[in-house]
Amino acid sequence: MATDKELSDFLEHVERRAFKQAAYAVRKEESALDIVQDAMIKLAEKYGDKPAAELPMLFQRILQTTILDYFRREKVRNTWVSLFSGMKPAGDEHEDFDILETYESEQGSSAAESSADQVERAQMLDLIDEEVQKLPARQREAFLMRYWQDMDVAETALAMGCSEGSVKTHCSRATHALAESLKAKGIQL
Amino acid sequence: MNTDDLNFAYKVRHALNEKLDDLPASTTDRLAAARKAAMARKKADAPARVAARQNVLSVVSSHLFAEPLSWLGRMSVAIPLLVLVLGGAAIYQFEQEQQIAELAELDAAVLSDELPLSAYMDHGFNAYLTKSAQ
Repeated sequence: MATDKELSDFLEHVERRAFKQAAYAVRKEESALDIVQDAMIKLAEKYGDKPAAELPMLFQRILQTTILDYFRREKVRNTWVSLFSGMKPAGDEHEDFDILETYESEQGSSAAESSADQVERAQMLDLIDEEVQKLPARQREAFLMRYWQDMDVAETALAMGCSEGSVKTHCSRATHALAESLKAKGIQL
Repeated sequence: MNTDDLNFAYKVRHALNEKLDDLPASTTDRLAAARKAAMARKKADAPARVAARQNVLSVVSSHLFAEPLSWLGRMSVAIPLLVLVLGGAAIYQFEQEQQIAELAELDAAVLSDELPLSAYMDHGFNAYLTKSAQ
């Protein structure tokens, strides 16, 4: 079973990537932070005694479930909001808000002080970030778990609740879609 | 996935990792706070729990069955046992009395009632009478 230190180290290791994963999905920084916190607490409370090797898969599974729960709650909330506000279509406020705009301006301001290369590099990172966010949700999850979170195919399949074949398909499609979209924007990795 | 795809995926991974370093301090602070909150609510280790349970059991058993028994420990075993035995005996006694009372009532009814005519027509009853007369 994982010791306190192992669990703490694991959470520290994954927290930033988990935040980005959640932010890609929900596109709201505050909500992404809440989701990561919920997922961390659930992992510690319910699976804190599991072996350290199982933590990545368990955490990813919890994270995905927590993101799904968020969308369910949002849907219910939007139903009520649209019911009471009459003409306002559901999900409108999400369309107004794009986290990438904030990111881009922040990135731009810090990079503006740096050299031209750094600006170019920062812009490229932003574009990659943006294209990853644009991927279909399942493809993005599979891609991030496999290549960002270092999970193997079996772990990813377990965390996503699908077959290993589906994971491979999602990953392959995500990689090709990403390569094409980045190429279209003139980025050659 | 072929090698080119893998290389591409790892380059994307590298770019995403690089981007992680740009997270604002407020976000990283909040994540650290969330981690601490999670650690504070960590589930206790399973072996520790088992050990704790064994400790409880051993404490209870040592209290009850260890050589220098306290009077409280002795009573906590003796009283429930006594209550159980007395309860069993009382139930047995009550059942016996009930059975006797039922039989007595039946006998009294048979003795005090007149025999119906149909009883004399019953071969079985006649056989019973002759048998009991012998």
